[in-house]
Amino acid sequence: MKRILLTVLLLGFAAASWGQTALQQAEGYYREGKFSAALGLYEKELKNTPNDPYVYYNIGNCYFKMGSKGLAAANYYRAFKLAPRDSDIRHNLTLALAAGGERLVPAGVPEVLHKAFFYLSYQEVQGLTFLLLWLFCALGSVWLLKRKFKRVFLTSAVILLLCGGWLYARYTLEQARLAVVAAPVAEVRSGPGANFPASASVPQGHLLTVQDTKDDWYEVIVKSQGLKGWVEKNAVEQI
Amino acid sequence: MKKFLLSFVLLTLAVWAGAQVSVTARVDKTNLTLDDELTLTVEVNGASGNMVMPQLPSLPAFNVYSREVQRTSINGKTSTVFRYTMLPRFVGNATIGAIQFTYNGKTYKTDPISVSIYRNAQGISQSRPASSSAKAVSSGNYDSAAVKRPRETADPNLPPLERDLANQAYARGDENYFLVAAVSDKNPYVNEAVTLAVRFYYNRPFYDAPYQKPTVSNIFMEDAGSSQGTQSIGGNLYRYEEQRYLLTGATPGQATIGPATVRYMTGSSPLSVVDRLFGGAIVNQEQTAQSAPFTLTVRALPANGKPGSFYGAVGTGFTMSAQADRTRVEAGEAVTLTVTVKGPGNLKSTADLQFPALDGFKMYPAQAVSDSSVANGRISSTKVFKTVLVPAASGIYTIPAVKWSYFDPSSRTYKTLQTEPISLTVSPSTKTDTGFDFGAAAAAAAGIQTLGQDIAYLKTDHAPAPSVLVTMSTWRMLNWILLAVLAASVLFASVGRKSLASKRVYTSAKSRLKKAFSPEAVSEAVSDYLQQRMHISTGSLPLKAILAALAKHGITPATVEAFSLLWQRLDVARFAPGTPGTLSAQELAHQALDILKLLEEEAQ
Repeated sequence: MKRILLTVLLLGFAAASWGQTALQQAEGYYREGKFSAALGLYEKELKNTPNDPYVYYNIGNCYFKMGSKGLAAANYYRAFKLAPRDSDIRHNLTLALAAGGERLVPAGVPEVLHKAFFYLSYQEVQGLTFLLLWLFCALGSVWLLKRKFKRVFLTSAVILLLCGGWLYARYTLEQARLAVVAAPVAEVRSGPGANFPASASVPQGHLLTVQDTKDDWYEVIVKSQGLKGWVEKNAVEQI
Repeated sequence: MKKFLLSFVLLTLAVWAGAQVSVTARVDKTNLTLDDELTLTVEVNGASGNMVMPQLPSLPAFNVYSREVQRTSINGKTSTVFRYTMLPRFVGNATIGAIQFTYNGKTYKTDPISVSIYRNAQGISQSRPASSSAKAVSSGNYDSAAVKRPRETADPNLPPLERDLANQAYARGDENYFLVAAVSDKNPYVNEAVTLAVRFYYNRPFYDAPYQKPTVSNIFMEDAGSSQGTQSIGGNLYRYEEQRYLLTGATPGQATIGPATVRYMTGSSPLSVVDRLFGGAIVNQEQTAQSAPFTLTVRALPANGKPGSFYGAVGTGFTMSAQADRTRVEAGEAVTLTVTVKGPGNLKSTADLQFPALDGFKMYPAQAVSDSSVANGRISSTKVFKTVLVPAASGIYTIPAVKWSYFDPSSRTYKTLQTEPISLTVSPSTKTDTGFDFGAAAAAAAGIQTLGQDIAYLKTDHAPAPSVLVTMSTWRMLNWILLAVLAASVLFASVGRKSLASKRVYTSAKSRLKKAFSPEAVSEAVSDYLQQRMHISTGSLPLKAILAALAKHGITPATVEAFSLLWQRLDVARFAPGTPGTLSAQELAHQALDILKLLEEEAQ
């Protein structure tokens, strides 16, 4: 039994130290300007830690330094969805989007409000809603059984309602299939095929909303321009 | 005695020299038309010093309109050529009789030369040069004989342009002055530089020869230098003056090259030595030589495989280099990056190199400068692109490789050159003045300048563990289940307990009523039921208030009325026993049971 435990511990330690070594090696490449080599290591690391926002962030940095602002923006966005309070992620995402003429904070919206709305990740908002629901149920139980804390119970109900609204709004955004133009230029066509005429060309880094999929084509809406059409899948990176 | 000896030696030398004199006469053609010119050449070898002009025989079939004299001396051997240009007057056979030349008291004669004059070119089957030679009469005459030479061709190892020019010259070797032109490639690509060479060949003197360069259309032409040379044609040495041009087609299609023209004067200049020798008895004549016009077909560059770094250069053997004027600077100081492209042809018409944007640098591109030079008949160009880089902050930077592509006509492919990356070490600025402004947002605090923006550095570790909220979200199914259990428990605890308590009160009231043997016991059981079940205190309330309280609990008016009747009968039975109509305790208990059953059913 002791041997098994020791083996498990050693394996765990080895895996952790390998991950650390890989990150250090990738950082070394990055500092030497070998962004492509660093990218390869980070993408390998992502398979081990699929929801690590920092790995997405580092991948975005590599793409940014390699000049692929669209792919950089896509990876920063993934990191932002997981860790929206991280100032570095917000900063880099803002820069990458700005390179494509896009804005993280929509025009007319105060940045404070945007930061508040995205203070928690979608999962955290879900967790908070559950927490408030628990509180609401607890206070409701006390009120039902003891006829006490009626005001606190009602206040918790209001807060729960507000949080539910926030969750719904975030859910709506979460359901929108965002994508970024990754190719130097994506041509927007009137149908899912190269035989359909192109109505516009969208440069790298622009945000799109995917509406539909057909074979190798996405039906998209270019948010900033209000354009709608079809683009080739390999020209965009879905977030 | 000495004088006598000297005279004898001189006389002996003169006799010896006279014995070496030879006179030949030849014509440039023996078959000609009325429109042709005939050049009669009398060449005297071995005669020097003063001499008289050869004495031409009577030439009724010709008009002599031009005469020229050329004297050359090579290694002490003097040769004098008298050249007469004649126009035929009649059709038929004509004979140029013996030409006499007198030198040092001796007369030399050439053999007669026969020529055939035709009305037009159809009568001439072949034109062939003829010659006759003469020696001193004393030594006998030689027959004039035309020498037919096979057409010469240029050395196949010569470059195509030189070979073409030489072959054209061989084809026109029976003329004394002619102009030929050729290009290095008649099907160039757009922006490919081809060489146009124009050569003016001559084997006779001329002067005052203004040259008019060819006119071109749909193609750019610029001078590429001039040179001189010689070529032996038909055994005669020709000199030539060559002018070269660089042709570059800007668009695909046909381009025409017009004729080049030389207007030259034959004979001698009025101030020439020959003129002074012979007293100006020479006729001058202006003539014109023209090259043949031709057409080039400029081909479009292939669209396939055209790289983004292609700026229009076409040629072979380009080279590229990059250099920074310094590799160690302070932040805010300028570094000049120079990229030089060298190669054949003309780089003037190529677009300027676009330097890639460098993060952390302000870039100020300077205008490109191009220069071209001619060497060995070929033009080569240099184009220098410069940009000024100003690093915003300290650090070690790498100026990446710069790419530049050209189209290689020989392999018909695009080729890309790239420079070596340059490392640049930037130290923090030591300047204390206001420094430089990169146009970014104004500094918020005094003394702090915004130098530019870059992405934040890497995260060197994994992200921290997810928060409790994320964990709660992850276990949402369990949350829902537990919440459902909680709600059920609370509801059960809240609603079920009330129900049980009320049932317990009713059961207790029923039990007491069944055991009641006095109206007081019945009244107490009913009062306790109302108190515990509906919180109605019957002791302190009048009947009217009790009834109103019952109505508030949702009891129907009929039941309220029945309760009122029961309550009044209980009061009569308790406080006025023996009153007629008074019910017994058992009867009152039965009525009370019925009414409590109704109250239990109707109470909310």
